[in-house]
Amino acid sequence: MDLYPFFDWLDTSLLADISKAYGGVFAVVQMFHLLGMSMLGGMVLVGDLRLLNILLKDIPSQVVIENTQKWFNVALVIVMTSGIFMSSAVAMKLYYNQMFWAKMTSLGLGIAFVYVIRRPLLKFPHDTINPWTLKLIAVTSISIWFTVAASGRWIGFS
Amino acid sequence: MLNELLLTFAQWLDTHQWSTGIHESIYVYSWIEATHVLTLMVFLGMLCVIDLRMLGVIFPNVPASKIAQRLDKPMMIGFVVMLITGFLLFYAIPVRSTQSIWFRIKVVLLILAGINAFMFRAKMQASSGTWDLDPVPPKRIRMGAAASLVLWSGVVITGRTIAYDWFDCHKQLPEFMYWAAGCVNELAALKQ
Repeated sequence: MDLYPFFDWLDTSLLADISKAYGGVFAVVQMFHLLGMSMLGGMVLVGDLRLLNILLKDIPSQVVIENTQKWFNVALVIVMTSGIFMSSAVAMKLYYNQMFWAKMTSLGLGIAFVYVIRRPLLKFPHDTINPWTLKLIAVTSISIWFTVAASGRWIGFS
Repeated sequence: MLNELLLTFAQWLDTHQWSTGIHESIYVYSWIEATHVLTLMVFLGMLCVIDLRMLGVIFPNVPASKIAQRLDKPMMIGFVVMLITGFLLFYAIPVRSTQSIWFRIKVVLLILAGINAFMFRAKMQASSGTWDLDPVPPKRIRMGAAASLVLWSGVVITGRTIAYDWFDCHKQLPEFMYWAAGCVNELAALKQ
């Protein structure tokens, strides 16, 4: 499916007018994007490092996952809404940027992984899940979200 | 006087071969910058969990001191990496950074965030026995956590805006801005 019409529309939308005309607004939205990214990364790391038995070892992993998942959702909404606004400023440039598509692919993978695999699986009592499955979930999760963040940063360099 | 001293120091750093080397190397500079930004997730991510607990909105059934103690080490590891990469980024472009109003505000906010963290920690250690198990900590603790989040948000936004040239010395700026940004030569030219 070619998303060119969407990017073409975004490039001339009201969002694009604002993001291109007001550098200050763009910078503030970018701040929320970075803060959302930090919060998202923090929740992923705390949850996954607990599953790996590295962090918060004396707190049940189920408690850690339940608490971090709520704030992960909040962070994801912040990152995605601010991300759409930021994309509108350079929509056509992003359409032709390979690193942007690497980020979008890994972001899609990350969201699917969280809501289709990680979250449903971790709803079961953790002591009934094979410890290696928990570790595999954690390593996969950290790897995917690191790829999202790293490819996102690399858009600026490419 | 301070502006002249800072500029002289920055110009001295700028003469270093390593400074030019990092600045002119596309990959080294990019890797340092990417590490600096990505480590935000470790440092600010952990800080965010601690501050949200102090605000009473996460881990309400886990003692606040336990969250703070357990996440302190990874948070400090992130901070040290950010500090080292941050210094290298400054070292690569010392003159422009020294004369950046955003960089200067960032340093001030960093100092304020450090003071707040020090006071916050002292307050927390002195009184944690009385509220450690409370789902929502006392107001003074919540204020400290909110201040921490606001100050660090300020550090992030000013760090990001260093890249913009809105108030660089080569622009036409009011005298106060030249002074605040440390534009020594432009200030001298204005006074002539």
